[in-house]
Amino acid sequence: MKNLLKYAVTRVFLTIPMLFILLSLVFVILRVMPGDPVAAMLGGHAPPEVIAAKREELGLNKPMIVQYGEYLAQLARFDLGDSMIFDQKVGTPIAEKLPATLELTITGMAFTLLIGVPLGAYAASRRRTGRDFGIRLYGNVAYCIPVYWMGLMLQLVFGVWLGWLPIAGRTSPRVFASLFEKTGFYVIDTLLAGNFAALGDVLLHLFLPSLTLGIVLSGIFVRLTRANMLDVLKSDYVLAARARGIPENKVVYRHALKNAFIPILTMMGLQFAILLAGAILTESTFSWPGMGRLLLERIRLRDYPTIQGVIVVFALFVSLVSLLVDLIYALIDPRVKY
Amino acid sequence: MRKSLAIFLVLTLVVGIAFFGCKKKEPEMTTLVYATTESITNMDTSNAYDFHTWELFQNINVALLTYAPGTTDLIPGLAESYTANDTADEYTFKLRPGLKFSDGTPFTAEAVKWSIDRVIALEGDPSWLVVSFVDSVEVIDDLTVKFNLTGPVGFFPSLVASVPYQPLNPAIYPEDRWINDPEELEGGVLTGMGPYKLTSFKRDEELILDANPNYYGEKPKIDRIVIRYFADATTMRLALEKGEVDLVYKTLNPSDIEDLAGMDEFKYYKMPGPYIRYLCFETSEGLFSDKRLRQAVAALIDRQDIIDKVFLGQNEPLYSMVPNGMIYHTDEFKTELGDGNVELAEKLLAEAGYTAANPLEFELWYPPQHYGDTEVDMVEVMRVQFEKTPAVKVELKPAEWATYIANLDTKQMKVFTLGWYPDYIDPDNYTAAFASSDGSPGMGIYFSDPEWDALFVQEQTSVDPAEREMVFEKMQKLWADEVPTAPIFQGNLHLFTKPNVGGVKIGPPLIFNYDQLFFE
Repeated sequence: MKNLLKYAVTRVFLTIPMLFILLSLVFVILRVMPGDPVAAMLGGHAPPEVIAAKREELGLNKPMIVQYGEYLAQLARFDLGDSMIFDQKVGTPIAEKLPATLELTITGMAFTLLIGVPLGAYAASRRRTGRDFGIRLYGNVAYCIPVYWMGLMLQLVFGVWLGWLPIAGRTSPRVFASLFEKTGFYVIDTLLAGNFAALGDVLLHLFLPSLTLGIVLSGIFVRLTRANMLDVLKSDYVLAARARGIPENKVVYRHALKNAFIPILTMMGLQFAILLAGAILTESTFSWPGMGRLLLERIRLRDYPTIQGVIVVFALFVSLVSLLVDLIYALIDPRVKY
Repeated sequence: MRKSLAIFLVLTLVVGIAFFGCKKKEPEMTTLVYATTESITNMDTSNAYDFHTWELFQNINVALLTYAPGTTDLIPGLAESYTANDTADEYTFKLRPGLKFSDGTPFTAEAVKWSIDRVIALEGDPSWLVVSFVDSVEVIDDLTVKFNLTGPVGFFPSLVASVPYQPLNPAIYPEDRWINDPEELEGGVLTGMGPYKLTSFKRDEELILDANPNYYGEKPKIDRIVIRYFADATTMRLALEKGEVDLVYKTLNPSDIEDLAGMDEFKYYKMPGPYIRYLCFETSEGLFSDKRLRQAVAALIDRQDIIDKVFLGQNEPLYSMVPNGMIYHTDEFKTELGDGNVELAEKLLAEAGYTAANPLEFELWYPPQHYGDTEVDMVEVMRVQFEKTPAVKVELKPAEWATYIANLDTKQMKVFTLGWYPDYIDPDNYTAAFASSDGSPGMGIYFSDPEWDALFVQEQTSVDPAEREMVFEKMQKLWADEVPTAPIFQGNLHLFTKPNVGGVKIGPPLIFNYDQLFFE
C-alpha cells in the first residue's frame, strides 16, 4: 500500500510537466494560427484605433514570449485567466459546461461496457460459430461508424420514426433547469430536488447521446473482451471448473470474465480520452451544451484563454482517469506491484 | 433470488423512467418553442451586429420609430411623432409620455441622448450607422429630443428604426464599455421597453423571454418564448418533425427545406428576403485592379445554375446590388454581362492578355461555415463555372470567419464571397458600404472613385425620390461596368411552424415580431 501511495504521488507530479508541454504547444499554435481575436470580437467595421486599443487592453501587442511568461505566472497561481471575448473568468463557462460533458461521458462509458463486454464474452464462448462471427462483425462495423452519422440515425429511428425518445438538448424546452440546477449534473440535481418528473426527462434526453457514444466505442471492447476471454477460457482453472460440473454460464461470466476484465479496465482509461473527443461530435449532433460545443465556439471566436483552459481541463481528466485505472488495477490484481 | 431482485430493480427503474419521463409538465403559461442554429453575440445594441441578436433586441427593446409588422411602413415607436426641417438635417422626435423601463426608470429624452452618445463613444461594430449620419443629439425637454445630422439624410427615419438607435436604460448599462452577457448589467437583468423581457439566458443553449407587463402596447398573445439553439440544422429539422419545437427559423439545409415544404403537417412560410450574396474583388492593386478581369469573372457566373444545384431552386438570381423588389432596382448585370457568358468573358480575358495558353489564375476565398453548410458547394459550382473557359484557373481557399475578416485588412483576398443583411431598408445600405471611398476598405474591396462618391452624397442628401431614382439608375449602370462586386443571388426566408401556430409576419426589414405570434 505504501508503494502504491508513492506511485500515485509520483504520477501526480509527472502530470505537471505533461501539462506544461501541452499548454506550451497549444499557446504557440493558437497565436501563430491565422485569425485575429480582436477582429473576431469587433467585427469588420471597427476603426483601426479601436482595434489597436483593444489589442493593448488584451495584451496582444506584447511579444509572444512576454505573453507566455505572464500566462505561466498566472497558471502558477492556479488562475486560468480571463476570457478575451466575454467579461468572465475562463473557469466560469468551464464550470457550467463540464458537468454536462462528464454526465454524457460517464453514461457513454457505461453503455460501452454494458454492450461491449457481454457481447465479447458471449462471442468467446461461442467461438467459430455464426454468432461469434456476427458479433465480431458488429465490433468492426461499430468501430468504423462515424459517431456523427450514428447519432443522426438513432435520432431518426428512435426520435422521429418511433417517437420514443427526445433528440436534442439536456431537457425538454418546457422543463426549466433553473428550477433544480445545483451541481450541473442534472441526474443528481433532479434527485436532490426531488423532482422526479424532471429526472425522467433528463434521463430520457441522456439516453440517445450516451447510447451513440457507447455503440461506437463498444466495438473495441467487443474485440478486446473476446481476445482476453479466449485466453482465459484455455486456463487450467477453467478446465477444472468445467470438470467439477459448474454450469457453462457461470464458468464464462463469473469465473473467466472476472480475470479477463483486468486488461479491459486498462483500456477504459485509454479510451476515456477518445470518449471525450467523441463527446465533442456527439454534443454537436444532439445540441448537448457541453465542453465540446464550448471549445468549438471559442475556437471560432479566437478566445485563446478559454481554449487553453478547456484543453487543460481535458488533459487533467484524462490523466486522472488513467491514474485511477492504474490504481484500481493494482488493487484488484495482487500480482501487480509498483 | 439475487437474479430475481436484480430483474425487479431494473424493471422498476425502467417503468419509473418511462412514467415520469413521459408525464408532461403542465405549462403554467402559453409557451412557444423557437428553434434556430443562429447564436447571440453580445447583449449590447452598441456592438451587436448580427441578424439574430438584432432580432432579439427588436423584441425586447423599441426604437423611436418601428415598422408595422410584416411591412416597410414606419410607425410610431417610443416616439409618437417627429418633424424634420426643410433641409432634412434636423429631426425632432416627440416621445410618448409616461413610459418606464421595466425596472421603473423613467424614459425621457435624456435616455435617448445618453444612448446615442454611448454608441458614438464606444465605436462598436454597428456604430457607423450613427456616426456617419448624426452630429449631435439635443434634449429640448423631457419628452422632446432633436437629432442634428452631419448633412441632409432623407432616409433618416429608417435609420432611427434600427437597433443601434434603440434607447437603453442608463441606470443599468455601463457608459464606458459594452456588455456581452446580462450578468454584467447592474442588477444582472436586461431590461427594455419592448413586448418581451429577457428572463433567462444560457449561451448557445437556451434563451427565455416572458411577456413584459410594463409594455405600452398590446400584450403578446404568447406568454413565454423559449429559443432553443441547435448546433446542427438536421437535428433541428428532426426536432420539428418530432414535435419538440413549435417553430424553426434559420438556417435549415436546402434539402431539409424541400422535404419539410412537401409535408402537410407543417405550415411553411417562404418570404422574399433582402439578404444578398455577392462576389467581391480587391480593386486597388494587383490582378483585379483591371476592370476587364472583374467583368470577365462576373460574366462567367451562372446564377440559376448555382441556385438550382446548391439551393434546390430556393433563392432568386440577383442582377444588381440593390435587391429585387426594392425601390430603384434595375437588372444591369443581366443586360450588360449576362449569365455564364463564356464568349464575353473570353473576349475580355483575351484583351487583357489571358488565354488558354496563359490562363488567369486566382484564388477564390470563402468562409466554409459562416453562411451555412452550402458555402462549400456554392464556391465549388462557381469554380466549375469559371473554368468553363480554359483561360481561367481557380483555386478555392477557405478561411474560417475570424481569419476571413482579418484578411479584409491585409488585401490578401483578391476574390472572395460575402453576404449582406440590411441595416435599414434603403438602396443606400446596399451600395455605399461597398463602393464609397469611406466604406469600401472595410469590406476588403478598396474601391474609390470621386464620381461615385459624389453620387453617394447626392442620393444621401436628396429628399426628392425622382432625383434619387436617377442617381441609383446611373450607379447601377456604373456598377455593371466597374464591377467592384458582382451580385449572385437574393435569399428567400424559410420558416416552418406546427399547424397551430399563427401570426408569422416577417417583412422586408426582416423584423420578426414575436408579439404577433399566437396559438390557434
